Amino acid sequence: MQQVFSIPKSMKENFKYTFCPGCDHGIAIRLLAEVLDELGIQDKTICAASIGCSVFIYDFINVDCIEAPHGRALAEATGVKRARPDKVVFTYQGDGDFASIGLAESMHAAFRGERITALMLNNTTYGMTGGQHGPTTMMGQVTTTSPTGRNREYYGYPARMAEQIALADGCAFSARVALDSIQHINEAKKAIKNAFQVQLDGIGLGFVEILSTCPTNWHMTPEQAHERVRNDMVKTFPLGVFKNFE
Amino acid sequence: MEKNFILAGFGGQGILLAGTILANAFMLDDKNVTWYPCYGAEMRGGTVNCEVVVSDTEVSSVHKQNCDYALVLNQQSFDRFINNVKTGGTIVANSTLVSEAKPRNDIQYVFAPMGDLANSLGTSKVTNVVSLGVLSSVIDIISKDALKLGIEKVLGEKKKDLLPLNIKALEAGAELVSCAKL
Amino acid sequence: MSETDKVLIKGNYAIAQAAVNAGCQCYFGYPITPQTEIGEYLSGKMQELRRGYVCAESELAAINMVIGAVSTGVKAMTSSSSCAVALMQEALSYAASDELPVVLVNVMRAGPGLGYIYPAQGDYNQSVYGGGNGDYKIIVLAPSTVQECIDLTYKSFYLAHKYKNPVILLADGLLGQMMEPASFGEYPYPEIDNSSWALTGAKGRNSRAIYSCARDEKKQIEHINHLFEKFELISKNETSWEEFETDDADIILTAFGSMTRNIKAAMKVLREKGIKAGCFRPITLSPFPHKRINELGKQGKDFIVVEMNMGQMFKDVKYAVNGESKTELVNRPVGEWLKVEEIVSAVEKITEKSYAASI
Repeated sequence: MQQVFSIPKSMKENFKYTFCPGCDHGIAIRLLAEVLDELGIQDKTICAASIGCSVFIYDFINVDCIEAPHGRALAEATGVKRARPDKVVFTYQGDGDFASIGLAESMHAAFRGERITALMLNNTTYGMTGGQHGPTTMMGQVTTTSPTGRNREYYGYPARMAEQIALADGCAFSARVALDSIQHINEAKKAIKNAFQVQLDGIGLGFVEILSTCPTNWHMTPEQAHERVRNDMVKTFPLGVFKNFE
Repeated sequence: MEKNFILAGFGGQGILLAGTILANAFMLDDKNVTWYPCYGAEMRGGTVNCEVVVSDTEVSSVHKQNCDYALVLNQQSFDRFINNVKTGGTIVANSTLVSEAKPRNDIQYVFAPMGDLANSLGTSKVTNVVSLGVLSSVIDIISKDALKLGIEKVLGEKKKDLLPLNIKALEAGAELVSCAKL
Repeated sequence: MSETDKVLIKGNYAIAQAAVNAGCQCYFGYPITPQTEIGEYLSGKMQELRRGYVCAESELAAINMVIGAVSTGVKAMTSSSSCAVALMQEALSYAASDELPVVLVNVMRAGPGLGYIYPAQGDYNQSVYGGGNGDYKIIVLAPSTVQECIDLTYKSFYLAHKYKNPVILLADGLLGQMMEPASFGEYPYPEIDNSSWALTGAKGRNSRAIYSCARDEKKQIEHINHLFEKFELISKNETSWEEFETDDADIILTAFGSMTRNIKAAMKVLREKGIKAGCFRPITLSPFPHKRINELGKQGKDFIVVEMNMGQMFKDVKYAVNGESKTELVNRPVGEWLKVEEIVSAVEKITEKSYAASI
C-alpha cells in the first residue's frame, strides 16, 4: 500500500495541537517542517523562538530551540549563528515581536546581512493577549485598544515589513505570502524554502512575512478569517517577492 | 617609599604616553606602580593629565589629592596643578610654553625650554620624551637608563624605528638642566 | 610566572585579553564610557582569530546575542557600564532561569540615570540583587587590581560554565582606565563539558529546548527551588574574600573593588596612630561572605564600610553582622575615590564617638 500522508520528520511525534481552530500557525509550522525535511537540515537547525502565540513552536518542531525575550529573537539568532556558523538558524515570530518591540533587532539583522532565516506571521493583532492594536493593524480595524478602529490621528499607519526588510542591503530574500488557498500555501512553501536557501548559500538574511488568521480575536469563523486575508489584508499587504538574490 | 607624579599638558603633547613610559620604567625597575589618566569631567578644556604612583610596597591609592612631582608642558597645566604640589615637592615645567613665575615659595621649580629643544631635534612631538629626560636629571627616583628601557618597552618591535630619535630626545633632555639633582 | 612576563596594562585591555585567553568565542557589545576599550580591542582581536564579534545595535541586542551564543555551549561575553547594564536586566533574568553561562563585564560609572562618566560603585545593588523580574541569582565578582581583572575574568568564564549561571564581573571606571603591571599566564581552569545541554542541532539525539519558565505551576516551583539549591552550592564552594590584620583588630574597614587599596592604606595609617584596624574585602559580592563577617562580628570587631555609593554593600554587612557589633558607613555617592586621609579622619571621628558613647 502506498503511504500518501505522513508527519514531517522535523515535527515532533505525538504533539498536541494547542492553537485555536482556524489559526494559520499550524499550516505555517507544517510548511516549515516540510522545508527542513526537504533540505535535509533538521539535525543541524536551531530555532530562536519568540514571545506571543508563536512561542508554542517548540511544542511542535523537532529542532533545538532557544526561547528569546520578547522582540529579541533575531539578536539571539545572531548570537547562535556567530557562535556556530555551520548551523542553520531561523526565527519564528509574530508581527508584534518582529515589527514592534523587536524592530531594531529585525532591521539590524537585515542590515548586517546575517545568514539567518526569519519568519514573521502577520495577523494584524496581538493574539496571545487577546487582540490588541499592533504595528500591522489595518486602517479602520477594531481591536480592544482601537475600539473605534485604527485611525491616523491616534495610531498612524500599519508597518509593511516585507517591503522594508527588502530595502536592506543585507537582505537576500524577502517575500510576503498567504495561507488562504492551496495555491498560496504552495507559494508560501516555496518562499520559505528560498528564505532558507539564501542562508545555506551564505548570501544574507532570508525573510518571509506570512499573512495569517486570528479567528478568535477577529471574531470570525475560520472561513470568514481566510476571506478577510484574501479580500482585505492583501490590499494593505500585497503578496509577492520583494527581493531575491538568486 | 611612595611618590606620585602628575603629568599634564594639552592634548597632542603626548602626556599620557610620557606617563606610560615613566610607569613602564618603574615596572622594569621592579617597583609597584600605577598609572591613572584624567578621566570624565576632568578632561574638559583641552588639557590632559595622568597620575603615576610608585611605591616599594603596594600602591596605597591610585588617585591622590596632591603630588610629590608635577611635570607640566603648558601654561594651563601649570596654573591648574601648581597648588597640588606638596610642600617640598617639585614642579618641572616646559618654559617654551610656561612663563617662569614662582607663585609659591614652599616648592621647588625647574623651568626648561623643552619645546624649543624638541623643535631643534626636528619635531615638537618629542617634547614629552625631552621632559622625561629633564625629570631624570633633577630627581633621584628615576634614572635616564630606566627611562630608556621604558621607551624601548613602549615602542616595542612595531615602532622600533622611532627608538633612536626618542633616545636622542631623552639624552638631550637630561643635559638641558645643568643644575645638580635636587 | 616570572617577573618579565609583566606588562603595564589598562584594566579594560586586561579584561579583554583575558577573555581571549579564556577561549571566549564571541563578543557582542555597544560602546559606553568607561569600558569602550574592551569592545575596541576585541573588535580587532576576534576578527584576527576568526571568532565571533558584532557591534550590536544596542545593549539589549548585545546581551541577547550572548544568550544565543552561549546556548550553543561556547564561551561568550558582553561588556557595558551602569546605565546600559540596566538595559540588560531582563536578559539576565532570562539567562539565570535558562541556566546559561552568560558573562557580563560591568565597568561601573555613576548613577542614577545617565550618571555621567566619573567612577562610582553604585551598581552593587543592580548586580547583586538585580533589576530583572522574579527570583534569580547572579554570581558577582569584584576585582580590586588590574591583575585581578585578569584572574577574575578567567574565573568568570569558569564559574559561569561550571554552574550554568550568569556571572557579572563588576569593575569600576578607575580600574578600567588605570594601568598597572600584571601578567596573564594561561587560562587556569579546566574546560567544562557542555554537550549534555548545548544546542548544536538534534543530530543523533532528541531535540532540546531552552526556556525560562515551565507552563506547569508545580514544575516552575521545582525549577526555582532547583535554582536556589544550586546557588546554595555556589555559596558553599565559591564564596571568597580577603582579610588583612583582622586577628587583633578592633575595627574592620570593609570595601569592595578598587576601594580596597585605599582602605588598606588607611589601615596602616590608623595602626600608626594606635587604632587597631583591619581590612575585609569580599571578592564574591554574590555569594556574599555573610558567615565570615558574622564570625568577626561575634568576636566584637566593629565594621566600617567604605564605598562610593549611598551604602549599598553597607546594608549587607550590617545584615551579616546581625547586631553582634557596630556597623558604620563612610561613603561618597560618586566621583573621586575617598582619599586615604578622608577615610582615616572619618574613622577617627567614628571611634571617638563610640568611645564617648561607651563611657
